Amino acid sequence: MSSVDITNLVQWKVNPGDTVISCVNASLMQDWLRMTRYLAIVTNGCSAALFVLTSANVPPTSVQEINIERIFPFDLNFKCDLESEAKDDGPDRFVAITYQKLILLFELELGDKSNMFVSELYEATGKVSEERGNEFLEFGWLQKYNPSFRIEQSDEEIEEQDDIIDNPEIPINRESLAKGASLLAMREAAIKFHMSKKEAEYTNTQTFRVFVGTWNVNNHLPTVSLQDWLACDIDPPDIYAVGFQELDLSTVAYVVSDSPREEEWRFQVEQGLHQGAEYKKVALIRLIGMLLIVYVRKEHFNHVKKVHVDSVGTGILSKMGNKGGVSVRMEIHNTSICFVNSHLAAHVVECERRNQDYKDICRRTSFSGFSPPLAIRDHDHIYWLGDLNYRIIPGMDVDVVKDYLARKKFPPILEYDQLNHQKRKGNAFIDFKEGPIDFMPTYKYDVGTDNWDSSGKERAPAWCDRILWKGDSIRQLEYRSHQVYRISDHKPVSAVFLADIKKVDNAKWRKIHEEVMKQLDKLENEFLPQATVDTTEIKFNPVNFLELQTRSLTIANNGQVPIKFKFVKKPKDVNYCKDWLTIDPFTSDINPGETCTIRLEVLVDKKSAYKLNSGQDQLYDILVLHLVGGRDIFITVAGEYERSCFGTSLETLAHIPGPIKEVHAGRLSELERQLRDSSQGLEAVGSYPVPKEVWFLVDHLHRHGMKTNQLFIQSGLTSEIEAIRTWLDCWSLDPMPGSVYSVAEALVLLLESTAEPIIPYECYSKSLEVAHTYQMCKKIVQELPFHKKNVFIYLCLFLRELVSHSDDNKLDVNTLATLFGGIFLRDPPWHKKVSAGKYWVTNQQNTFIRRKATFVSHFLTTDDPTLCQIVSTSGQ
Amino acid sequence: MAREYDHLFKLLIIGDSGVGKSSLLLRFSDNTFTGNYITTIGVDFKIRTVDIDGERVKLQIWDTAGQERFRTITSTYYRGTHGVIVVYDVSSGDTFANVKRWLHEIDQNCEVVNRILVGNKNDSLDRKVVLTEDAQRFADQMAIQLFETSAKENINVEEMFMAITRQVLRTKKERRERQAIQNSETVNLRKPNKSKKRFC
Repeated sequence: MSSVDITNLVQWKVNPGDTVISCVNASLMQDWLRMTRYLAIVTNGCSAALFVLTSANVPPTSVQEINIERIFPFDLNFKCDLESEAKDDGPDRFVAITYQKLILLFELELGDKSNMFVSELYEATGKVSEERGNEFLEFGWLQKYNPSFRIEQSDEEIEEQDDIIDNPEIPINRESLAKGASLLAMREAAIKFHMSKKEAEYTNTQTFRVFVGTWNVNNHLPTVSLQDWLACDIDPPDIYAVGFQELDLSTVAYVVSDSPREEEWRFQVEQGLHQGAEYKKVALIRLIGMLLIVYVRKEHFNHVKKVHVDSVGTGILSKMGNKGGVSVRMEIHNTSICFVNSHLAAHVVECERRNQDYKDICRRTSFSGFSPPLAIRDHDHIYWLGDLNYRIIPGMDVDVVKDYLARKKFPPILEYDQLNHQKRKGNAFIDFKEGPIDFMPTYKYDVGTDNWDSSGKERAPAWCDRILWKGDSIRQLEYRSHQVYRISDHKPVSAVFLADIKKVDNAKWRKIHEEVMKQLDKLENEFLPQATVDTTEIKFNPVNFLELQTRSLTIANNGQVPIKFKFVKKPKDVNYCKDWLTIDPFTSDINPGETCTIRLEVLVDKKSAYKLNSGQDQLYDILVLHLVGGRDIFITVAGEYERSCFGTSLETLAHIPGPIKEVHAGRLSELERQLRDSSQGLEAVGSYPVPKEVWFLVDHLHRHGMKTNQLFIQSGLTSEIEAIRTWLDCWSLDPMPGSVYSVAEALVLLLESTAEPIIPYECYSKSLEVAHTYQMCKKIVQELPFHKKNVFIYLCLFLRELVSHSDDNKLDVNTLATLFGGIFLRDPPWHKKVSAGKYWVTNQQNTFIRRKATFVSHFLTTDDPTLCQIVSTSGQ
Repeated sequence: MAREYDHLFKLLIIGDSGVGKSSLLLRFSDNTFTGNYITTIGVDFKIRTVDIDGERVKLQIWDTAGQERFRTITSTYYRGTHGVIVVYDVSSGDTFANVKRWLHEIDQNCEVVNRILVGNKNDSLDRKVVLTEDAQRFADQMAIQLFETSAKENINVEEMFMAITRQVLRTKKERRERQAIQNSETVNLRKPNKSKKRFC
């Protein structure tokens, strides 16, 4: 959604008569969390306010989804600061909104939209300070909004707001995390923000002596020592800021940036610095006649950082540098300081012009070493010096002024001082402080004398040259003029301050920093995916072949964030669980506080039975339940498998005289191992010619099912097949249970459950190749191991007989050959993997099916009297 | 400027079941201890960021199930590990005897890795059966640093984690330096060759 739409939507939200100037998407940072908000500047008449809005949907699609969360009137309690953080992918921009004790940090998206918003915000808040004093801003219109949200108010609610500070948990909507609020993972800017909130806890203060001097030298050369001005105190200052105006009024100075005067004055200043200490120059900046030089004592120099300068011309065409300001900013220890030397518009009547120059300097001074660039107001300590040119309001007669001055009675005149007036009215220098003036006006003297200007202009003397400051913990010690200097029509002025400079206590800083980091780590840990399971051990009852058992496992999300779980495979495993187990679902998402129940089904079928019978595998597995981005939980699955003739090799079955249940499990796996290890199969000696289980089933069908319609085609019943399985595994005096259909299916299943098919996998390809030639097929059969060969011939003879009853059972050679072709010539497991999903493969598969049927049909149709002879008799 | 961390290391805590691996981790990451014993069935991790000589090191510490039956699975979590913390219980001789097996496990699954030996539950002299001297002798023999800790009483836990972190950091830096030297050597080797050619 474009910005226009959001602004429009919010316009619908506000009351008629109120106007939305600008609206942007922003992220509210609260305790490391980031939540989507919209910020809107809303105006009504002269006053404006910042609205913080939430939306049910991001971006909002209708006005109903938008809610007003907070309203901050732009009054004197409102403050906003830009913070930025350079990153590889461009700067992040943060706006810290301060309202009394409440601080909210918003991250703005990068782009023109945000830039526009920020400038609107500054303009709107800037107006506040300008309007102050003129009139009381009217915020009654805000009361018309629904009282369910809070309108920030002055004074009365301070206590309540304290609660918010003490308990930062309140605004955190932990539930919102589930809805996608993202964790503000360790952003440097946010750490900085938290650290700056705790600054007082890790900083000490050291008091610095700051000397600020200003002098309009009226284009004169430095022919006098400056010591009486710069070094007239006993204690040497820690910082010097010395400013000049009208240093060079030559026309050349407007065109050429070099001025020999600059060097001369700099040299003279350095000669004049206090002898009690050594100084190093921090910065020098000159614009035409305005020069500002900053020094610090040598021992502080290493603690001065981020020094930047800027100059702004406000003279002719509002651009030329005959008027304007030059500034130096720096950081000493942990305090940022800005010095501004300005020369504002001259003449009594140009008071408005001076105010405008002041505002222009404030607005246009920009220290570009930062992103976004810093303004003058972005500093802890600001010293403003210069020839501000404010005069005595003509309301007081020149002679009266001079009369008061003669008696050194300054207060009555200062009542008529334009700067004091404009300050009171809120037109300029609003937040700046100035010490009491107890010195003679510094302008205008006859050069070379202490006499008031004797030209015919009848100028009233005025305190043009001033020093003001802004910032906490600054005390002024001295504020004076230096009357001994007579080379200019101005006298120099100086002020000495004691300023508390914040110094980081490294040990404390580390401790607090560690705490902040710990808090962050704790939160990060808290927001890791967490889950519990109701059990980590799943036990199944004794498991029989083809008998489905189900267990459930409940996964609960007891953490703070939505989780995604999935079962993952262990190294060396092909799948995340064994083939006798299915997990449903094996992956899913769970929201905080919710659970997910998954089904675990164990089913031993024809594919997995032989491994369990032979002891190659066990009904035991450890599942790895993985939380994406988090921990793993191990789930143990275990059960006892009841051995069965299903999945046991034909050879082993032929070697077991009784029911399989009576054979020790160890003996069973030993037989199977022997079978695997010997290339020729088990010795025939002492075994049945065909496994008795095969014989039981075939014999039953032979006696009861030869004329049954669709035998082998119609499927049996699972319960009956289970009963037949039990009958075969345990034996019984009762007749074999179940219908002949079930018996037929059990026979197929028995043949399909073995590890190797009757025609071993190694003969598979060859068999298909020669399928068209009976003699070749016969040769393959002749070479089969003893029991396999017997079972093959035995079953073929049975099928031949079945076909002979085709009038009754409706079975034909092709059907039976196709069915048993698939059983005798089972596809090797590696074949299936290749075949997945391609058309030509399917074609090939059809060819394979036809060839298998051809192979078997030879043995059902060919009249070969020698066929029976290849059947070996038992080794008994 | 903007940095979340200067180094990211993965640490792994191994040792017999019940020696206090999870407790050590909880003490270090959340500064809490719970007397209730819950067997870890799986692997879990927590993060913590520490400052080592002005460098910000983010640790991802993995706590593994100690039970024998999980050993083959847990061994797969050794991959990518920078440091392994082998824990035994000073009040159980068996767990100390098994340390050798755990160290062997590390050799099997990791290439170059920093190790530290930790005798936990070192808060009751009455129950202590693995003497410090014996453990120290063994540790010296294996060239591995020994710490005796108590997650319960918060003794030496911070120090132990910081020690293994320092070790890992040192190894990383040494490797980097070696690489730098190797690189400069290859350059040096080439240069004379070139100049020789010119003279020939």
